[in-house]
Amino acid sequence: MLFTKYLVAFLGSAEINAFITQWGLLLRGAFTSIQIFALTLLFSLPLGLLVALGRMSKKKWLSELLKFYILIMRGTPLILQIMFVYFAPYYLFDLSLYDRFTAVIVAFTINYAAYFAEIYRGGIESIQQGQYEAASVLGFSKVQTLIKIILPQVIKRILPSVGNEVITLVKDTALANIIGVSELFRVTKNETNRTAKVTAFFYAGIIYLTLNWIVTKVMNSLEEKLDYYR
Amino acid sequence: MQIIRVEGLSKNYGENTVLSNFSFEVNKGEVIAIIGPSGSGKSTMLRCLSLLEKIDTGNVTVGGRVMVETGADGKAQYASEKELKKIKLQMGMVFQNFNLFPHFSVLRNITEAPVHVLGISQIEARKIAIELLDKIGLSEKVKSYPWQLSGGESQRVAIARALAMKPDILFFDEPTSALDPELTGEVLKVMKNLAAENMTMVVVTHEMGFAREVADRVIFMDKGKIVEEGSPDDIFVSSENERTQSFIKGFYV
Repeated sequence: MLFTKYLVAFLGSAEINAFITQWGLLLRGAFTSIQIFALTLLFSLPLGLLVALGRMSKKKWLSELLKFYILIMRGTPLILQIMFVYFAPYYLFDLSLYDRFTAVIVAFTINYAAYFAEIYRGGIESIQQGQYEAASVLGFSKVQTLIKIILPQVIKRILPSVGNEVITLVKDTALANIIGVSELFRVTKNETNRTAKVTAFFYAGIIYLTLNWIVTKVMNSLEEKLDYYR
Repeated sequence: MQIIRVEGLSKNYGENTVLSNFSFEVNKGEVIAIIGPSGSGKSTMLRCLSLLEKIDTGNVTVGGRVMVETGADGKAQYASEKELKKIKLQMGMVFQNFNLFPHFSVLRNITEAPVHVLGISQIEARKIAIELLDKIGLSEKVKSYPWQLSGGESQRVAIARALAMKPDILFFDEPTSALDPELTGEVLKVMKNLAAENMTMVVVTHEMGFAREVADRVIFMDKGKIVEEGSPDDIFVSSENERTQSFIKGFYV
């Protein structure tokens, strides 16, 4: 009874409109976060593989160069990298190459590619030499061996570590707010200022958690899918 | 007819000489057993022939094609990539640890190379694979994955995988050494059947019984050199070489 009374009062009030408006804004921000997330994965997963292969190359200059790249990417804060990617072309060369959103995608991609590269490398190096030898005596080319024999096994082994990075990426999208991209965190901050209430922070927490709950489900089902062999 | 000819092959790991001035030949249809103590270079020998390791000097000819020969500078010079690939396809290899592809079913382990290396059709490759599995008594394992097989079954599948490429010669690198003793029999039986079909085989083994019964010729190696070479009787019964005698005695005590 009491609950119904409150519900009727709430639905009839102006608060419901404010609530709906706020969630609308937050979800639009979340959509931008999801775009950053998806595009970063789309570009950094393949780029990371190329970096890993180059890092393991016998060409010394290439592997040293990529070691240095990985050092920078892992050794400095992502938030600084975002600012550097966005501002450096303008201040160093007087160029405006891209908008804020593109700058964020570039920064996230090169940063995450470095982490993924090290995960790939660990996976590739964990495959027994015998797999390469068996492929070699059967006449598979190097590319065939990598694509047919090695990588499928690598993917299974690295899935848990990749899952970790993917979950971190969902939360890292909040860093895009530093150059003014209207993703979830920035929208939330604006909302708390506008309404002088901190409830929006709580809602944002719920949205991030929901996204990562979905990510976790997807990762688990991928692991199950690859469970048919050991 | 000679199928493999090795002359003056030497191989070093740094300052360590693993094979020194090694010469032998393999004739078509012959079964050769290479025996000898651990570290004598037996496996390295096979790995050099199957191009998993490079040699330092020497000549190797496979099926009339020059795989490698000593150049004017005294160093081994390998044939072109294209030529090496052709040579590789004449040879099959069975490893101590099977090295099956864990993410492929038994069937696909056998069909993958015929389809993607030789370019034969899926249907044809399947037919060959099923025939081979039938022959080694594993028809019911077509859809199994390697982790579901015993060691003996894995090794038989590995043999079928090598045979599906229709090689002229098959190398075995201690094919039963990783198996429980009661599982070696089923693998040796498959190998004996192959020998009876005149498959050319070079077998590095510690199975003295197999070497004695099945091999046409036995090579006894020690410290990277051939100590003695001859018929099983020459080696196991009438050898006058002290090193050979003490090695063989070690197995029957």
